[in-house]
Amino acid sequence: MGEILERILADAVEEKEEKKYDVLIIGGGIAGEESALDLAEMGFKVLLVEKEPSIGGHMFLLSKVFPTLDCASCISTPRMAAVAHHPNITLMTYSEVKEIEKRGEGDFRVRILKKPRFVEESLCTGCAQCESACPVIVPKEYDFGLRGRKAAYIPFDTAVPKIAVIDIDHCVFCGQCEMVCPVGAINFLQKPKIIKVKVGAIIVATGYKLFPIGRKKEYMYGKLANVITSMQMDRVLAPTRPYNSVLRPLDGKEPMNIAFVLCSGSRDRTVGNPLCSQVCCMYSIKQAQLLMGALPLADITIYYMDIRAFGKGFEEFYQQAKDMGVIFIKGRIAKIEPTENGDIVVHYEDIENGGKLRKAVHDLVVLSVGLLPNPEIAKVFKNVKLELDEYGWIKQKDENISPVETSIPGVFTAGCIIGPKDIPDTVVEAAAAAAHVAAYLNEVRRGGE
Amino acid sequence: MGTRSPKRKKLTVHILRDKLGLKPSKELIEMLKKQNEIKSKIFKAIKQKAKTVPEIAKETGLDTTTIFWYLMTFYRHGLIEEVGKTDEGYFKYKLKR
Repeated sequence: MGEILERILADAVEEKEEKKYDVLIIGGGIAGEESALDLAEMGFKVLLVEKEPSIGGHMFLLSKVFPTLDCASCISTPRMAAVAHHPNITLMTYSEVKEIEKRGEGDFRVRILKKPRFVEESLCTGCAQCESACPVIVPKEYDFGLRGRKAAYIPFDTAVPKIAVIDIDHCVFCGQCEMVCPVGAINFLQKPKIIKVKVGAIIVATGYKLFPIGRKKEYMYGKLANVITSMQMDRVLAPTRPYNSVLRPLDGKEPMNIAFVLCSGSRDRTVGNPLCSQVCCMYSIKQAQLLMGALPLADITIYYMDIRAFGKGFEEFYQQAKDMGVIFIKGRIAKIEPTENGDIVVHYEDIENGGKLRKAVHDLVVLSVGLLPNPEIAKVFKNVKLELDEYGWIKQKDENISPVETSIPGVFTAGCIIGPKDIPDTVVEAAAAAAHVAAYLNEVRRGGE
Repeated sequence: MGTRSPKRKKLTVHILRDKLGLKPSKELIEMLKKQNEIKSKIFKAIKQKAKTVPEIAKETGLDTTTIFWYLMTFYRHGLIEEVGKTDEGYFKYKLKR
């Protein structure tokens, strides 16, 4: 958050009225959406709070899902729309839960900060004329910086809700957006609000953080344009991609020799993350298969420590990649260096051939980055403690028999907030959390008998 | 059409700016000036003839990464179009009329 927005948020106005909902769900990714829809279908009134300007989380940014290769946004976009239109779900985007107080079983008091978009939500039609008029270009977060966005912008084409937002910290106060808006929706006098709510139960579904791969200095991320992350590659392969084709950021050339470096920031004590991220092997194999389709003449090499193909259909998916011609080399990358023409030299230990040190040249390197915990949400609980495990993931009450219960009765989890996992497992947990909430609320209403 | 005159009514952006004494930082103004220069150079280079990123770099003196980043941003906003591809795997881009 920049200085100007911080200054504006300091003057948030508290609403007098306290609103009531059965359940608060924090986080509008696939986990939060699925829990919200399940509970709403059961008849519970749900408040879904998302800190970003649109719901969707990480899933809608992906190209396809493994191992079925179904289109990720084709699955997630209808779910996002269903959440937005369900009569039992109230959606608050661009909002942050700031404080939670537990006053008793089934009684949580919550304070939520609704940040100003500087755009009237009831008026904006998502026409993007403000975006076209705005003169300022900054890196686009949803494309992980692969291209730019304007300071006045629609988050992305399939955003829910599709409402513009003004990045006030990059605004030059020229007024162009306000002058061209055909419905007069731009309102820089919009105030931040503190909204008070009372809820009976809470689901925490705030997901994970991507490993900041700049910490692994020998991989040269941020220094060499042709070294990108796996999330950037997923964006390049997605239907809503930032480029007009699969191209390398250095000069817009089609890459013909692409390397994947697995366990970039996972299973690595030197960068403080000894855990396996569980999804990197399979999403890299997915991307390799998609690249073979997009660039049939390209060579694709995956450097790995172990291939962990443990889920349903995963081993077959791995074998399929081999059959398609993807080259798998067992060996950890020691160093990455540039060549004069922008290609990349990868130094690796060839474990299956006597452990010899070898070099290979590629024209694009994809770092398969791991997943890290996102423990900030624990800080908003004021009079009760949401316990974390030794790594920072939310601690489960019992991993075997109560995996979605937390140290606080009435607070449940869904998705990657308790540890890395793939989309099907996330959806299963989201349904489990919804069922636990229903049971908890029914028990509270019966007087805890 | 659809444009409100700033003379008729003071814009809310200017009310906020005056009320809080806001002004864009020097860095932001410098960035905007630089962006306008880059935009102008790229548009001039591809106004008449479609060119690849290395060709634009040769003509403008800008580095290829910067050119490609801006081209993709302009592509998203419908300002440029791709016109064929070279045997080396570079697309050619041209300013839309």
